[in-house]
Amino acid sequence: MTERSLDDLARRVSAARAEVEARGETFYPGPSRINLAAFPPKERWDNWVELDSRSFPKRIEKRYMLVPTTCFNCESACGLLAYIDKETLQVRKFEGNPEHPGSRGRNCAKGPATLNQVTDPDRILYPLRRTGARGEGKWVKVDWDEALDELAARIRKAITEDRHNEVMYHVGRPGEDGFTERVLATWGVDGHNSHTNVCSSGARAGYHFWTGIDRPSPDHANAKVIYLISSHLEAGHYFNPHAQRVMEAKQAGAKLIVLDVRLSNTATHADHWLSPYPGSEAAINLAIANHLIQNDLYDREFVRRWWNWKEYLASEHPELEERFEVFEPLLKELYKEFTFEFAAAESGVEVETLADVAAIVATAGTRLSTHNWRSAAAGNLGGWQVSRTLFLLSALLGAIATPGGTYPNAWNKFVPKPIYSPPHPLTWNELTWPLEYPLALNELSFLLPHFLREGRGKLDVYFTRAHNPVWTNPDGFSWIESLTDLDKVGLHVALTPTWNETAYFADYILPMGHSSERHDVHSYEQYDGQWIGFRQPVLKVARERLGESVADTREVNPGEVWEENQFWIELSWRIDPDGVLGIRRYYESEKSPGTKLSVDEYYGWMFENSVPGLPEKASAEGLSPLEYMRRYGAFEISKGVGRVHEQQVSPDELTGTAESRFGRVFATSVKPPSCNVVPQATPEPDQFGRRAVGVRIDGEVLRGFPTPSGRLEFFSTTLASWGWREHALPGYIRSHIHPAALSPQQMPLISTFRLPIQIHTRSANAKWLDEIAHSNPLWMHPVDAARFEIGSSDLVRVSTEIGHFVVKVWITEGIRPGVVACSHHMGRWKLTDQGQRQMMATVDLDNTDGRWGMKRRGGVEPYESADADTKRIWWTDVGVHQNLTFSVHPDPISGQHCWHQAVSVSKAEPGDSYGDIFVDTTKAHQVYLRWMELTRNALAVSPDQTRRPYWLMRPLKPAIEAFRLPKVRA
Amino acid sequence: MNPYLTHLRPKSDLYGRSWAKPRLNMAACGIVWASVPGERSHESFTAPWGGGVQANRTGAPDSLEITSAPKQTPKWGKVLDQTRCIGCHACTTACKSENEVPLSVTRTYVKSVEVGYFPHTRRSFQVTRCNMCESAPCVAACPTGAMYQRDDGLVDFDKSICIGCKACIAACPYDAIFINPEDQSAEKCNFCSHRLDIGLEPACVVVCPVEAIFVGDLNDSASRVAKVVNREPVTVRRPEKETRPKVFYHGAHQATLDPIAARRPGGDSFMWSEQTAGGDHVVSGHPESWNNSSAAALLSYDVPHRAPWDWRVSLYTWTKAIAAGAYLVPLLLILAGSISWDSDIFTQAAPITGLLFLAITGVLLIADLSHPGRFYMIFTRPQWSSWLVKGGFLIAAYAGVLTLHLLATVVGLGIAHKMLAVPGVPLSIMAAVYTAYLFAQSKGRDMWQSALLPPHMFVQMTLAGSAVLLLLAPAIEEAAVTPLALVLAAGVLGHLLMVWGEATLTHPTAHAHLAVWEMTRGRFSNFFWVGVALVTVGLTAPLIGPLAAPVALAGLLAHEHAYVQAAQAVPLA
Repeated sequence: MTERSLDDLARRVSAARAEVEARGETFYPGPSRINLAAFPPKERWDNWVELDSRSFPKRIEKRYMLVPTTCFNCESACGLLAYIDKETLQVRKFEGNPEHPGSRGRNCAKGPATLNQVTDPDRILYPLRRTGARGEGKWVKVDWDEALDELAARIRKAITEDRHNEVMYHVGRPGEDGFTERVLATWGVDGHNSHTNVCSSGARAGYHFWTGIDRPSPDHANAKVIYLISSHLEAGHYFNPHAQRVMEAKQAGAKLIVLDVRLSNTATHADHWLSPYPGSEAAINLAIANHLIQNDLYDREFVRRWWNWKEYLASEHPELEERFEVFEPLLKELYKEFTFEFAAAESGVEVETLADVAAIVATAGTRLSTHNWRSAAAGNLGGWQVSRTLFLLSALLGAIATPGGTYPNAWNKFVPKPIYSPPHPLTWNELTWPLEYPLALNELSFLLPHFLREGRGKLDVYFTRAHNPVWTNPDGFSWIESLTDLDKVGLHVALTPTWNETAYFADYILPMGHSSERHDVHSYEQYDGQWIGFRQPVLKVARERLGESVADTREVNPGEVWEENQFWIELSWRIDPDGVLGIRRYYESEKSPGTKLSVDEYYGWMFENSVPGLPEKASAEGLSPLEYMRRYGAFEISKGVGRVHEQQVSPDELTGTAESRFGRVFATSVKPPSCNVVPQATPEPDQFGRRAVGVRIDGEVLRGFPTPSGRLEFFSTTLASWGWREHALPGYIRSHIHPAALSPQQMPLISTFRLPIQIHTRSANAKWLDEIAHSNPLWMHPVDAARFEIGSSDLVRVSTEIGHFVVKVWITEGIRPGVVACSHHMGRWKLTDQGQRQMMATVDLDNTDGRWGMKRRGGVEPYESADADTKRIWWTDVGVHQNLTFSVHPDPISGQHCWHQAVSVSKAEPGDSYGDIFVDTTKAHQVYLRWMELTRNALAVSPDQTRRPYWLMRPLKPAIEAFRLPKVRA
Repeated sequence: MNPYLTHLRPKSDLYGRSWAKPRLNMAACGIVWASVPGERSHESFTAPWGGGVQANRTGAPDSLEITSAPKQTPKWGKVLDQTRCIGCHACTTACKSENEVPLSVTRTYVKSVEVGYFPHTRRSFQVTRCNMCESAPCVAACPTGAMYQRDDGLVDFDKSICIGCKACIAACPYDAIFINPEDQSAEKCNFCSHRLDIGLEPACVVVCPVEAIFVGDLNDSASRVAKVVNREPVTVRRPEKETRPKVFYHGAHQATLDPIAARRPGGDSFMWSEQTAGGDHVVSGHPESWNNSSAAALLSYDVPHRAPWDWRVSLYTWTKAIAAGAYLVPLLLILAGSISWDSDIFTQAAPITGLLFLAITGVLLIADLSHPGRFYMIFTRPQWSSWLVKGGFLIAAYAGVLTLHLLATVVGLGIAHKMLAVPGVPLSIMAAVYTAYLFAQSKGRDMWQSALLPPHMFVQMTLAGSAVLLLLAPAIEEAAVTPLALVLAAGVLGHLLMVWGEATLTHPTAHAHLAVWEMTRGRFSNFFWVGVALVTVGLTAPLIGPLAAPVALAGLLAHEHAYVQAAQAVPLA
């Protein structure tokens, strides 16, 4: 703590270019493009000296150790650099990580606010076990050992008694690639449950039916036209990395087209903002496609080579010759009904605007980047056709895996193979994969309470992890009913860094680390390249750099906060302490057999053996691969992956080949080993068990796509043969909130939109974010407000099928008249003092035979805590929990919950207060039953006596034997 | 002398200390800039740097050359590129993190305004913060030099000598300064000068996902900042304030740049946050339904600001008027021949009342400081362009005159009263009137830059002084009642004329207009009209005598409160 001369300071710590380069160190240029560095030179990350901002202009020097990790808020997984104060060994701040190829040193508001999450005075620091009734809010601190032993014993009993399906792990934000799925595989349970069907599975299905890969990877930076049915300048998948690249393209002259019912921050930057009537997005896509088709503006050669038009002709027009020239007129015929006038009538967007947008799309060539995620695909019945029709535009222009085009994500993602690869489980869990949904890409997670209510099964051990279904999912009161029923859920374990509404109904709450307190490895498609990022407990790394040995993150984390990797290893070991169940071997060290696998060995092995180029790069710096990742937090494996589908299959693989009538090439060769185990579809072998290796196009055997045909499936043979022939082509399905489906009093409610500064259930523990955004008023156009005689901030009652909520109104020109919208980020609540006092209202719950009421006892207020800032909390509002009043709307094909609601809005009634909620769960179950009637059961439609097409992607895929349809079903 | 022209600013304080801290002279130390003397090196932006990231960054279409600034004092400027800004608030939280800014205050935030009618609607963002003025009103107004300008043009602050008078806040036309509730000292965006000084970009620049914020040397025409400023249509906020900001907005909308262009939504809600209006909070946007924007514009996110000067300052103007008038009025009566030099009113009531109310004034002034214990710094490290300093010395000098005057009374030295009147007259007037200059130094508060203000304060001191003495006169000197009542009535008449003029003349700016609207019809209209009514009673003083005095005094106090607060009720950010 001394004041030194500036010259001395410059010599020692300056990050300015001249000094840095004179020292032979790395200069990280910043946006100012001057001599200022954006980050300290990496050579100084062990001992970086900065001036204390609070004491300035007094020059108090602070010494930091800089340790990279990864943000754990949204899915983007941006790099962070923890500044660890060398005096206190605590994190002083988080900045971006310049070595991270996806986020490139930049962050959104949530990156720096990670510090709030770590220092949150309300966080859970010790394992807790409930003492009163479940949900009563009485907890006692317990030892980790006690919790582990009880869990292990129960799980072991379930496994040995062949009750595998009673063990379930329900995850929200995974934040990692496959670690926990493999844990479940080692236990032999089909117990993976996700949040995907309340999130992105609608969009995924649309992409998957085309490509066999369930996510797009748009190359925005190089695009000429960017067409978004999403709000990627403000929301995840992948907000910050994509926002950077979208704005880069815009600065280079790209045109931005955005479809969003409400004015998002993305829409505000659009050259064309289209605010369609919700659910009509696919009609707009098809009108643009029709424009390209009718005017011969599409890439004929690409369509001829890569679409499976032959299968279409063979299936739908067997009388016709299988020639492209025959297909083209049919294509014109198929889409001719989708005129601009048709789309305008459906969407409310003017014909002229649609024509303008179509003309712009037509100019893009192969530089059209498109993206749909959540948004319309997650809002509407048939929403999966939104992404399917959007991909149609890319597929028409040949803008697939081209610079500025859209890639299948698996080509821009790298999932390193881990030390052990357990086999697929032999069980099939019908609580997550029911027969009614043979084509769903993800678990029917949000129907769980209804399945339990129907007696389809029960749970003995139910983990929720970074997931809050009571709050996040629709119909939360039905979740509370299930979770409080000990016969349905034997033991509920909430793995969470912070309080949440679901954890209140747990038996154990086990505190897990935030982004800087845990290990994970992950990779996301954010440009045409492949990288891995390493999330790591930064205080452990810091202490190890100082020469200490930290075997367990509990030694360095606050309280007894642990990391999940080590928790799962320990739990699995205790389930099978003697190795008899065959589980323990996956948790043994390879280096010293018989001892427990350490987290260091797990990642050390992965980085040494499964990441091409990393060992060489590390060794050039005199580091081991693990040391390299600990130091830099990320590694880019490749760049410019390009058109994988156009790659020729190597002759080595072409042994014992056979070819289908449509050119699908099968071979007996063994699949070459790959250390990238990125999830994608697995096309089925032919009848002789030969695996699909490629597709013959114009005489060459090319890699193609992981679809049954090896081509882009314009015509989905899967949809056609599994009972949905009418939807086998990219088409338009009228939404459940289509005007024709609404009564005159009803209007659509858009309930899914994100804010750039919050992230679902995960950021309520970040005071800086809460201070900026803490309310979710109902957006309403002035025309509607006048109709209802409602003024700004007035209370309204919004009635759904099963109940109502009372909320304030935000009157805005930023929404289509006749539609209301309410962000889902708000409305957090607690029943007792336990919870996030910065962002949760205290409420009373009342339940009379499934008629639930919620009344707000108090909003947020200032309070004393270890953080002086909590005394300065000035906001009182936390918004309204609208999701409670939504019934489930499972799309019969994708299984996606269709979020949009048909609601009636009226002035609040006497006695209504802000935040009031009422719901009848009996009605909720009736709505569930109505939607189930839309499904087509595998027992009725399966063409091959299996539960589900084997080739489709599925998290934690069971062994093929488990796919057989059950023989009898009542 | 225009106190806002920094080149006319004194270079050192009373003690010979340099006003701009020499230890921060970057050129002298040469810490940041290239070691090649006199040479400006242009190297490609794609010059060597780390690993895979390099390849990614080169994808930026606007890769500019990196300049190493010449070895001369730079002139730091900043561009806020609103054509890129996506309103994500990364800068807001990065700044909170870097500078450990508590909840309830911000150095920077992103205001947003919805513009237009559906479906032709846009959301306009404005990254809102200190404008790093070349002629910084906060620096001119700071009594101790805590808010100061460095040689490189940065307006920085030294919390160790901030007395918490909030003059800088009142002076800032952008409402960019606040008192930190943790350390009670003024602060604001300083371009992260602690980072610039070691060669690092400011925290907001680094974090921004879309590179919408960047800094540079405006003297270096090759710098990215200078290129944008010189070649692109950039704007500064409130150029009419002659502050010459060095923060330039690229592509900003008038609806955000002008704080009253947008309509303030009714009720208590913004798009995703509460609107903390009421109390001493000042929210952007116009409170009435009309606005200055070319388009329909609705404020959708804003951070509440606080009016810097509360009731204590309203009250201080009143007590000080009494303190000043209590001496001057009897002196005027003597000169007019109404009372004599040895009148008790003049020899006793005047100094005692004057000193008493000066003491109250002093207590109020000190109580208004967030660092009351540092009050003495006004005298020990005065920054002479500050009217707080000038006023402090004026009040002290006037208190000295009153004390000697009282002493003369005690020792019976009548001649001293006459001699003391020579400095006493101007000092009492200046003690009353300097506040007009103090208020006018609040460059952001348009209503206070009024030529009426000095004479008005003079009128108010005669009103206040005569009223107080009128109350005392019956007990002390019956003969003084009538002349005092006449002075009071005249003062009231003058005051009402001034108020009439203030309220009804066309105002020079929209801000002045809005302030007057807030005073006469808005948030402070109750105080205003009660004030007018009660003061008017003072006209009857020649008829009802001392009874009119307390009523008129109460009216004056109500008026002062309305006047002081209304001027601060206009949003500036």
